[in-house]
Formats: sequence, C-alpha cells, structure tokens
Amino acid sequence: MADEKAGRFPDPHEYQVPPELEGWEEMYPSHYLFSKERGEWEKNQFWYLDKIHAPEPMPPLDLLFQEAWQISLSQYTTRVFCIPPAQGIAQRMVGPYMYICAIAPPPDEVIGEKAQLFEKRVFYVFEHYNELWDKWLVKFKALGKEMEAVEVPKELPKFVPEDQVLPAPTGCYVSYDLIEAFGKLVNQMFKGWQYHFEMLNLTYLAYLMFGDVCRKLFPGISESAIGKMVAGAYVSMFRPEEELCQLSRLATSLSGVADILKNETTADQKIAELGKSEDGKKWLEAFDKAKDPWFYVSCGSGWFHYEGSWINNLDIPYSYIKSYVERLEKGETIERSLDKVDKEREETVAKYRELMQTDEDRESFDGAYKTVRTIYKYAEDHLFWVEHWFHTIWFSKIREFGSLLVDNGMINEVDDIYMFNRYEIPELLTEVATGWALGVDIPVRGDYYKAKVDKRRKILKAAIEWNPTPALGIPPEEVAEPFTIMLWGVTTDRVKEWLESMGEVSAEDVSELKGFASSAGVVEGPARVLKRLKEIVDLKEGEIMVCPTTNPSWAPVFTKIKAAVTDIGGLTSHAAIVCREYGVPSVTGTGVATTVIKTGDIIKVDGETGVVTIVKRA
Amino acid sequence: MDYILNFELLDKGSLQMVGGKNASLGEMIKAGIRVPPGFAVTTDSYLGFITGTGIKDAIFKILSNLAPDDVEDLNKTSAEIQELINNASMPVKVQKAIGEGYSLLCEKCSVENVPAAVRSSATAEDLPTASFAGQQDTYLWVKGEEKIINGVQKCWASLFTPRAIDYRNKKDFPHEKVLISVGVQKMVNSRTAGVLFTINPTDGDPSKVVIEGNWGLGETVVSGSVNPDKFVVDKVVMETSEKTISAKHIECIFDPDKGEVIDAEIETDRQKQCCLEDQEIKELVKIAKEIEKHYGRAMDIEWAIDKDFSFPESVFIVQARPETVWSQRKKESVIGKKSGYQLLMEQAMKRIKIPG
Repeated sequence: MADEKAGRFPDPHEYQVPPELEGWEEMYPSHYLFSKERGEWEKNQFWYLDKIHAPEPMPPLDLLFQEAWQISLSQYTTRVFCIPPAQGIAQRMVGPYMYICAIAPPPDEVIGEKAQLFEKRVFYVFEHYNELWDKWLVKFKALGKEMEAVEVPKELPKFVPEDQVLPAPTGCYVSYDLIEAFGKLVNQMFKGWQYHFEMLNLTYLAYLMFGDVCRKLFPGISESAIGKMVAGAYVSMFRPEEELCQLSRLATSLSGVADILKNETTADQKIAELGKSEDGKKWLEAFDKAKDPWFYVSCGSGWFHYEGSWINNLDIPYSYIKSYVERLEKGETIERSLDKVDKEREETVAKYRELMQTDEDRESFDGAYKTVRTIYKYAEDHLFWVEHWFHTIWFSKIREFGSLLVDNGMINEVDDIYMFNRYEIPELLTEVATGWALGVDIPVRGDYYKAKVDKRRKILKAAIEWNPTPALGIPPEEVAEPFTIMLWGVTTDRVKEWLESMGEVSAEDVSELKGFASSAGVVEGPARVLKRLKEIVDLKEGEIMVCPTTNPSWAPVFTKIKAAVTDIGGLTSHAAIVCREYGVPSVTGTGVATTVIKTGDIIKVDGETGVVTIVKRA
Repeated sequence: MDYILNFELLDKGSLQMVGGKNASLGEMIKAGIRVPPGFAVTTDSYLGFITGTGIKDAIFKILSNLAPDDVEDLNKTSAEIQELINNASMPVKVQKAIGEGYSLLCEKCSVENVPAAVRSSATAEDLPTASFAGQQDTYLWVKGEEKIINGVQKCWASLFTPRAIDYRNKKDFPHEKVLISVGVQKMVNSRTAGVLFTINPTDGDPSKVVIEGNWGLGETVVSGSVNPDKFVVDKVVMETSEKTISAKHIECIFDPDKGEVIDAEIETDRQKQCCLEDQEIKELVKIAKEIEKHYGRAMDIEWAIDKDFSFPESVFIVQARPETVWSQRKKESVIGKKSGYQLLMEQAMKRIKIPG
C-alpha cells in the first residue's frame, strides 16, 4: 500500500524546479530547504502546497510570518495544550512556494502523557474564555502600540545631536539604535504570533468536535449547515466594512458630502474638497475616528507586503464608500444585519434540536454546542488584530527601514527591503552603520545588494508562471492535526482528488471540479479568475470569482459577485463564511480551480453539492 | 348507515369505516394539505354487499379449507372468492350512492365524467407496525359512473388476491377482521409524480426529506420500474444535498386511444431532464414537514404535480402513511450522555484515517 502511494506524488528530494528559478535557495533560511541530513524523515512525510498562506511566490522577508506560525501553531499543539495524537506543522520551500506537512502522531506513551495535560489545561481555557479574551485583547493592543512606538532612525546625522552627548551622554548612538530597532520589530512580530495561537488550536478542535456530533445525529448534514450554527459573532473582522457603511450613511445625511465622495477623483482630492465645508470637515472627523484601528486592514490576507492596507491606500476605502453611497441613494440596504444573522443561527439550532430523537442526544448536543460557541469568537476576532492591524503596523515600520537603506545607497526602492530575509537585513543595516561610523566618503556595497534584488525579483516573477505539484511525499494514513483538517481542508477525499488530479488529464479536459459545498445555491455565469490579489479590480458585477483563497478585506466584493470558487479553504474559510452571509453560492477547496478554469469560461457553481461544472469554454 | 363519505368528513378516527388510506386523506385535508377531492365507499357498503348477497359465509368457508403453503391451492382459493365477489350484484342503494358521489365530484371539478382513481383502502393497511401497502388493487383514469362502480367491486374482490390472503395468513391476521373501503379520487393530471420520505430511508437521518420522482403518474416510482430522479433536502436549511438525475426510460401515462394508463417510452432528451423544478422541490419539502408534524412521526408520502394547475396549486399529495422501517426501531441515543468536555476530549484523541 505504502509503495503504491509513494510513487504517486514526487519525492521531495528529486522534485525539480524550472531552470529560471535557479538560485532561489539563497532567499530563505537553510532550515527551510529539503536537506540530505533530514532526508529519510522528509521523504516519509506528506507535504502539500500551502495555498492559504503562500498562494504566491514568497518574498524573503515575508517568510518571517510563516516562520513565526510554524513555531507557534505547533508548540500550542505539542507542548502547551498537548492535543494528544497531534504534532506540529512543518514547512519547507520548494522554489518560492511553501509546502507544509502535518507530522505523524508521537509514540503512544507521549500521547498518554499529553492526554493528562490536555484535560487540565484545555478545560480551563473553556471555563475562562471570556476573561482570557479580554486579557488577550489588552495585551495584544499594547504590543501593537509598542511596535508603533519603535523609533526607526529617519537619517544618520552628520554629527550626533548635542543633547545626546551633553550634559548626560546616552552612551549609545544611531549605529546601535538602527540594529536594535530592527531586532525589536522582529521580536515583537514573533511575540504577536505566539499570541495569535493562544486559543486558536482549541477553537478549531471544538469546531471539529461539534461537526462530528452533528454528523452523528444527522448523517447527511451539510458542512454549511454546521457552519451556520456556529458562525455569527465575528465582529472585529467585519468591523472595517461596518465602519464604511456607517460613514456612507453619514455622508448621505450631510450636505454636499455624498456628491464629493461620488466624484471620480482620488482620495487626496476628495479630502481636500471635503475640507472646504463644515459638513465635509465633520465627515472627515468621523473618518479619522474610525481609521485607527479599523482601517488598518490589509487589502489582501495581511501576509504579503505588496498587498497594502486601507490606511496606506485611502483610494480603496474611498472607492468602497463611493459605491456604498451610490447604492444608498438607489434605496438599497448596504449593511449586513448582525441581529438577523444571530436570529437565523438560533432558529437553525432550534430546528435541528427538535429533530433529535432522544432527550439524551439533545443534552449532549447542547453541551457540544455551548463548548464550540464559547470559543468560536476567537476564530474571527484574532484575525483582525494580528494579520491586519498588527501586520499593517509592521509593514509601515519596515518601510521606514527601507527608505533609510535607499537613502544610504543600499537599495533602489523602499520595498526592495522585502527581497532580503530577516537574517540578511541586519547585515545591510550593519554595513550602513559601519559606513557612518567610519567617517565621510566611505563606499558601501550597494551594487552587490541591488544586483541581488534584481535577481530575486526575476525569480519571483518567473515563479508566478510555474504551477508546482499540489503535494510531495507519501500521503499519511491518518490525520490528527486540527488545522490541517479544518483550515486547509485536507481530508480523505481531498487527498484522493489531488492524487487523481496528478494523472494524465490536462486542465483543458477537465469539465467538473469538486470541493466543499460551502454556501448553498446554484448559479451559472462567466468566471473571473483572480490568481493574484491585485487583479481584484478586474472583477465585474455578476461574474463568478475564482481565486486561490479570499480575505476579509475583500468583503465589499461579495455584493458584486454571483458566486465564489476557491482552490483552498474549508468550511470556515473566509470565502465560505462571507458567502453564506451574503447568500452567494460557493464551492471552496477545489484544489485546482484557478488552474482549470479560465476567465470568461461559463461555469455552473452548485453550492449545495460542491460541484463546479465548466459549461462552456471561453 | 353511510354508503359513501366525502374525504372532507374523514379523519384518522374513521379507519374502521373507510380504511387506512382514505382516513389518512381526510386527516390531511383537515390539516390543510392539498389533496385531490373525492369520496370513500365505506366498509359498511362492503359488509352490506357480502352479507346482503349471502356470499360472506361462502368466502370464509373456502378460506378455512385453504392448505397452508400450497401455492396452487392459494391461487385456486383466491380465484374462487374473487369470482364470487365479481359475479354478485352490488346492492342498488350502494350503486346509487356511488353514482351520486361521482356526479358531485364531476360537478366540483366542472368536468363531465371526470377521470378518477379508484383505490382500495383496507382497514388493516398502512399501520405503523405493518405494511399491507399495495396489496389491493388500484384502477387509474376511470371515467363514467358505470366504470367507477365496476372498479369499486373489483377493489372489493382484490381483498382476496393470493398475495393478500397469504400475507394475512403469515401474519396471523384473521381474514374476517379485515374490511375494505374504496376511495374514488379525482385523477391528478400528472406531469411528474413520485414518493417522498420525511426521513432518509438509507441512513435514518431525521433531518432529511428524500424525494423520488418520474415523469407521468407515480406508479413507475412506486413499482420501481424506473430509476427515478432523487433529491435529498435538508429540512432545516432547505439545502439540496443530493440531486441525482437518472435516465428515466418509461413513464406511466393515460392513453386516450386505449382509454387506459400505459407505460410509454420517454423520448431521449426528456429522459435525462430533471422532472422537478426547484420551487416544486421546496414546496414538497414544506408540505412533507407539515404532514410529519401533523402525524408526529416519519411518513412515507405519494405526491403528484398536476399540469392543469399553476404552481403552487399544482402540487398535490395523494397518499401518506407512516414510515415503517426506521420508526419501528427503538429510539436510542446516538451520542450517549456526554458533556461538552468529554466530547472535546474524544475529538482530541481522534485520528482521521486517509485510506490509500
């Protein structure tokens, strides 16, 4: 059995990347590469392409988030809460793409030890969730503020300012501050990511438990029905959108404001225009009040520097506001009714309860439901604060370093800093500090670094055109790691489908795809394939969005589209949740939709059976 | 004594008088379910017939002589009794009552000689504990008073088909105790018809309604002579989790030339066409839930979509009986009594198998 399986996904040590990617290895830390020393172990694991966290080629500095979650997610499972048979998730780079692997269970005696710790530690969290969350939020906000307060030297002064020397010498100067500041940021990011998983593993575990209970009671219950019963309280993640709705409503109630917001001008022009009237100023005030923290939201997942955040690209929130104002003027409702979502959830639960055959089942169901509802809020709340708010602060701090490096001739563009990984940047900073310390007219190796940037950009660009294998190594016989099942949607069926898709069939021959039936409804329409997040602007009203995965800041898009199809993502993936809320049909976790479907193809999305059919090729 | 009773006057308490099928139709009308109009020829009419004509004693005498497990003898006995019944003449009062009932039905439908279904409705059928279903005859598309009366008499005779006799013997159900009524019901001009269950008969999932349907009358689905289209719908979120469109090669339709229902071939492109619209599926589920709630148990329901009416008036229920397989099982807890933490611990210990 194992031998048969072994032959079906490539051996990670033999898998070849295209020649245009030559030299990719130097972009990433050495422990990210498949290596001879760990060869035996690596060969026997099952590695799959992580399209959730790395749908695009990985810029070296952005890998730091991945580094951070590999440690944090894994430690909570293996060493903190001790989910008995589960181990961590390991990462490797193949070219600029990341593969991950849920490590096989530990020996039985370790499972036994973990079970005891699990009981004691985990139940405490459930019993004290609300107070733990309150504390979490306080400490996380403090950490973000700390990061915001890190001072990145704007320039290296010709001479150290007098007040740093006399009368009380500080004793250490900008050459040190520079390196310390970067170190602080990195440490804070790692700390933030430790916090990120503080309750997430348990959230996912509880969700899986509840799903299982539901399936025992109702063998044919759909994943979307289970999702409906659990979801509904993700306030923070949808707050940015709610704020936009409120600002749009405010605009229509003030004089002249809506008209300015509807203009085809830039955000800056609008702000200038609004500043000329009393009502306009009033509105700008409201906008400023909302923007921190709520517009510290990534235009993408928060995982990549180039996605940008609303706060740094005000044209984005302003364009959403424009379309909301227009819709309000047409008499449409723009807000999601949270009360309605809540009420619907309660009704759904009550109806299923009624269908249960015994009181004993009802009681156990209530216990399971209470457990999952207690903690599920965490799944959506943490996301805003970590991936969006915190990462937004990080990116702007890193850009300060970027501009310092530009000013000192080390790189050409601010964002070139992202072409170096977190171990390399101190090297660049050290050279700058050294040059400054040595005196005037000291040359730096700018050309050397600039050449590296060019080469790396070329590799990343070439990698976009490359479709790496969905998996490497040997599929396991069982999976116990909760994230693998829930977040990546890696289940029995999915692996089987990947195996099948490895076959000889070319993309053009595929006419049907299967995934999770994430949001009910059946529609047909033209596909818009968005392989990269920035292509979102191409999306037209009434199209079916086909993408690797989606993110909360895409929310306003969901009122535009007819349906959504994703490559990766289980039933609690963002696309699934939002589609259910907007009543937009969706099929998630198809594995290959963005490869098989082309923009303009007429496709049929059946959100009830999880089938996507290509009706007519463009 | 009532020879006939309008369906609207019946309910589940009328079982002894009109049999299970008819009582259930009356019960549904009371519950506000759309059922085609009609009337029941009571068991009293049948009793009056077998006693009045003096064939009663002969029937039970023949039955008492039946050798057990002798197929030949069973067939002979059945033929003898059925001949007795068919050859006896129905009391004039009963004939008159049926004639009046039928003309009222025609009047109500504003159709002369309205086509009707003449169905047997025995007192020992469709009980939750035993399925006597389909043992007695049904005659479809019967038109005109004379043919209706004749159909009623044939239904009476069908109480003694070899299968019905044998089944009662095997279940030790006394022959004298079983009486028969006949329902005369306006024929649905059926575009699509079939059966549905308010529980998934495959896995006992109580949150599902399973619908099977085919073009034409429901007979092809009930008899299993085609692979029907199948829909599995969740009662709570109303999602269709399964939709199987089969190649349905035949349909049961009325042939006006022959004056009877026939199995006709379905033209190729219609075979693979879905026989129900989404709104019809949703309406059927809605009605199924109402019926289940009314009876307080899982039900097995026959339905039809009438092409003469527009939606939703086109959706008719023609039969409903208790589901017998899952509802007879002892209701046991599937999870057991467990706290949320116990369940969480179990989940934490779980490994999900990925078969090769």
